[in-house]
Amino acid sequence: MFYAIWLQIRVIAALTLRETRMTFGTSHSGYFWAVFQPIFSVSFLMTLFYLIGRQSPFGPSLALFFATAVLTLELYNKLSVSLMRAFTSNKSLLSYPMIKEPDTLFARLSLIACTFIVINVVFYGGLIVVGLGQFPANPEKLVFAFLTTCLFGFGIGSINAILYQKNQAWQHIEKIFARPLFFLSGVFYIPSTMPPEAVAVLKWNPILHIVEWTREGFYSNYRSDVLDITYPLGLGATLVIVALFAERITRKQRV
Amino acid sequence: MIAFENLTKIYTVKNVRKVILDDASYRFADRKNVALMGHNGAGKSTMMRMIAGIELPTSGRVRRTEKVSWPMGFARGFNGMMTGVENVRFVSRVYGCHTETILEQVQEFAELGKSLNLPIQTYSSGMKARLAFGLSLAISFECYLIDEITAVGDRRFKKKSEKALKDKIKDARVVMISHSEKTIKDYCDCGVFAYGSKLYHYDDVNELLKDYRKFC
Repeated sequence: MFYAIWLQIRVIAALTLRETRMTFGTSHSGYFWAVFQPIFSVSFLMTLFYLIGRQSPFGPSLALFFATAVLTLELYNKLSVSLMRAFTSNKSLLSYPMIKEPDTLFARLSLIACTFIVINVVFYGGLIVVGLGQFPANPEKLVFAFLTTCLFGFGIGSINAILYQKNQAWQHIEKIFARPLFFLSGVFYIPSTMPPEAVAVLKWNPILHIVEWTREGFYSNYRSDVLDITYPLGLGATLVIVALFAERITRKQRV
Repeated sequence: MIAFENLTKIYTVKNVRKVILDDASYRFADRKNVALMGHNGAGKSTMMRMIAGIELPTSGRVRRTEKVSWPMGFARGFNGMMTGVENVRFVSRVYGCHTETILEQVQEFAELGKSLNLPIQTYSSGMKARLAFGLSLAISFECYLIDEITAVGDRRFKKKSEKALKDKIKDARVVMISHSEKTIKDYCDCGVFAYGSKLYHYDDVNELLKDYRKFC
């Protein structure tokens, strides 16, 4: 039993190191770009909005409001897209009997989660340093929101991996669902202030709930009428269970 | 212990159904060097891949309590974009070995010199085979799977690897596929004959070879 757990940890650690090497190359600057590329792209968007004179929907800092949504979305997108190719690009690894497909998913999850912890710390830290943000009022909510994004992203990403390996056209279909998320996740607005007809639709988006959760973590006086933490948590857990079962059942067809 | 339990393996490629094993139960004699023989296409290599855990049975299970190698000479598990050193480190980590000890042994055995720091995709197939062979010797498996190949490389390296393998199996054992009677007699204590989707055990290699001559 202990041996099995130790083996699992060992395999996932080795795979994570390998993924790091494959994603970022041998140079340390590879990791620098992995962290700073999303930071730069988010900063660029924010600068644009400042220049056109947009006011922050909540709190004094547009950058902070924006970041709570965009960084959550980035993490989710990264997970769902990168896990999708975990099986197809790791086929050769299955020649080592102790490596099973879910391990490649867990390895990618742990690498992406670690990278995004760095990204979050650097980005929010930077905002606080330059006076565009404040220290989170409820840090524990930020942590839970981050973990829930990982859970949900892992569930969707794993299902993507199974479907993508069955039929590569899945990557195009997945995009159809992923694109509108930017507009449905409260990047520019406070969901609670939207008309009820809009809320009735928006509340089906689990990412929106996580964004609201993140905002409650940052602002001491942000009260969301939409947020229901059981929804993203329950959906995420269900997806992970379904995905892992589906992976096990379809494993023989894949090898 | 390596054992097949009610194992069935069926391939269906382009509507051609091929039964490799049909509800076969077989326990490979513990700590013995086992020959695996059969005619071409009987599914010997598939069985070996199932023992290695690379391929899954259609139904039934493979029990494996010892540390089994990948089929020797097999270099598919390497990542072409990573260097030799990185691949060696990765495999030793996965098998829970001390990475630097393994690396030293591979460096010494495979004689690849500075090439070990280059991506594997720049290697010739001979170099890859040397690396894979050296690595599987360094990891100290309890059971080595040999699919025809007992040595790799050029003439001099073949001798060296053959000798290294023979040294290694003093403390380990082999499951071996070969069509060469000499190699079988040289390495194996007992054998199994794959015929008509079933497995037949032989305590005596000479008996196995007799039937092999009769049926194949």
